[in-house]
Amino acid sequence: MADIALARAPETARQVRQARMLSVGARCALPVAVLLGIGFLAPMVAILAYSFATPRSFDVFRSFTLENFASIFDPTNTVWLSFAWSVGFALFTVAILAVIAYPIAYGLNAVFGRWAGFISVLFVFPLFVSENVRLYGWVLFFIKNGVLDGTLKWLGLPGGPEVLYTPGVTLFGMAYTYLPFMLFPMTLGLALVPRDLVDAARDLGAGRLFIWREIELPLAMPGILIGMLLTFVLAIGATAEAKILGGQSIIVISHDIEIAFTYSQNWPLGSALAVVVSVFIAALTLTALSKLDLDRMLGRR
Amino acid sequence: MAGISRRSMLQGMAAGAGALAAGPLLGTGSAFAAREKELNILCWEGYNSAQVLDPFREKTGATVKAESLTNDPTMINRLRAGETNTWDLINVNNPWARKVMLPEKLIKPLPKAEFEPFFAQMLPEFKWPYKWAMSEDGADLLGMVQRFGPYSFVVNTDKVSRKTAEETGWDLFNDPALAGKYGILESDDWNVFNIFIVAGIDPFKVHTPDELAKFEETAKRVFKGAKLIGDIASMNQALISGEIDLHLTGGTYSVSPARADGHPNLRAITPLKGPLAGGKGGISWIEVTSTVNNPNLSPLALEFLKYVQAPEVAHTVAFAEGTFNPVAQMGNKACFDLFTKEELDAIQWDSLEEEMARSVEYDIVPDYDKALDIMNAAKRLRG
Repeated sequence: MADIALARAPETARQVRQARMLSVGARCALPVAVLLGIGFLAPMVAILAYSFATPRSFDVFRSFTLENFASIFDPTNTVWLSFAWSVGFALFTVAILAVIAYPIAYGLNAVFGRWAGFISVLFVFPLFVSENVRLYGWVLFFIKNGVLDGTLKWLGLPGGPEVLYTPGVTLFGMAYTYLPFMLFPMTLGLALVPRDLVDAARDLGAGRLFIWREIELPLAMPGILIGMLLTFVLAIGATAEAKILGGQSIIVISHDIEIAFTYSQNWPLGSALAVVVSVFIAALTLTALSKLDLDRMLGRR
Repeated sequence: MAGISRRSMLQGMAAGAGALAAGPLLGTGSAFAAREKELNILCWEGYNSAQVLDPFREKTGATVKAESLTNDPTMINRLRAGETNTWDLINVNNPWARKVMLPEKLIKPLPKAEFEPFFAQMLPEFKWPYKWAMSEDGADLLGMVQRFGPYSFVVNTDKVSRKTAEETGWDLFNDPALAGKYGILESDDWNVFNIFIVAGIDPFKVHTPDELAKFEETAKRVFKGAKLIGDIASMNQALISGEIDLHLTGGTYSVSPARADGHPNLRAITPLKGPLAGGKGGISWIEVTSTVNNPNLSPLALEFLKYVQAPEVAHTVAFAEGTFNPVAQMGNKACFDLFTKEELDAIQWDSLEEEMARSVEYDIVPDYDKALDIMNAAKRLRG
């Protein structure tokens, strides 16, 4: 590199100035870089710095200790339970949504025709209402003498099942909340399957299941995987469902982080927990993305 | 457009960038210069409501910002983290001003002569010199009092009568027959107090390892037996719908909105007896609002403290959105007369005096951190 730089050593003052300046591209990217630096990196750095600060103190950048991480990985600490529940909930949410969203995505691409746009809007619409409001709505639906229970009793039936404040209803809430995040990447993925290939396979005598397994699924896989990844990442950080619908029958990891920052006033511990979760999610995301062909997903049809 | 050259454009951009860079400095300058029209309040919900703040804004033409938080340690830590430069008033529960914030120089005393006369207008228990408004040595006035109330637990009297609840007291939560029929309000500092009390231990002292072991066992059992943990709205909703019959941690502050909404069968209970000092059965809270030790305190801070003493404003504070509470200013007939029969009923005025008498006042648990960690671990075992 030094040789090349020397070989192209600028001669005039203007050339020197130009050589010292950033390239046009870099200069154009500067505002975005500054914005990302302030809005994205700075909080991350603060969290990382806090995770090495003395427990229950605000001595950020002034102290260094591994105590917070040691206490998280201490075998007597039960915080792993919260982490396990969060991962479990996220995995189940992904599995349930993969099964639910696939037929809808297929329908949006191949069955609903001119209604597809309208049906898409129906799935997007709930996103305009605050998640908490929607979840409280479900509480009113499931609560004793609420919409479901009250209606069934009014019809002379024994009443609704007691599902509120259980882990099951938390999972239901998560599947409900994250459906669009699975559905739309999956729809995009399925849209990338060339119709001709399916027709050709059928002409050559392939059965419906064979076409699905050998053509549709592999070609739509980037979209499906991105949907799964997005849903998993969002679901592992979910708190509202476990709190509002689940009545805190389960303490999820993001709730533990929140407790550390509020009632415990142990910002270093909360930060260390956040770092551990972030590293886990980042590792998972990077591994998954390295196996995905994004060019195929976003470019070639 | 013709007048704009590339050079003038660049000059303009440079000037703009300069102004942006200097912005924070200019801001600091103006903050030092013109705080007469600015007031920042860190408070519990209620004081941040438009009903309370708008008339003050109109009267003074000031920009008033209020941020509400729902636990004391968070607010105090905001000051510790350096926000004494930002806030003018802090509104927290009784012990923090004299035991923590004054010794740590987070707040500064009020001019006694200006504020002492207001205490003469308050309910008898708040008469001058009121303990929690004063410094430990009694020399300084540290804040003004307003909202208060008993805070132990809440029952649906259709399911558990007031008499049974008061007589059985905290042992209700030791009764296996009630497992799955109660909720726990998500208010962890109070839950630490109350788990200690359910375990038969006074929370406001240093605890022995045996007592902490008892605390742990009780926390695990009580949290396991809870049908739900949630906020005030969730507790009231669960009580009204019949999902639960009672909930741990709660009082006038939490149940008054439901009572005002036509559910007088929901009632805050203060047990007749308990393991607290003097054999008392419950805990009460009293809010103290103090001036922050801000190097450039807004003169409106004192103005606001006087403003909320007026009978009409005190009544508005009592019935600000979200939660309804008695106020010390009800000792003034002009203020008391503003309360309707329904409002008095919502705040359980009929039994307020005796319930306050049966309660010890909110205090600081010396080994709170240890107890809270134990309680958080117990919560995780619910699943």
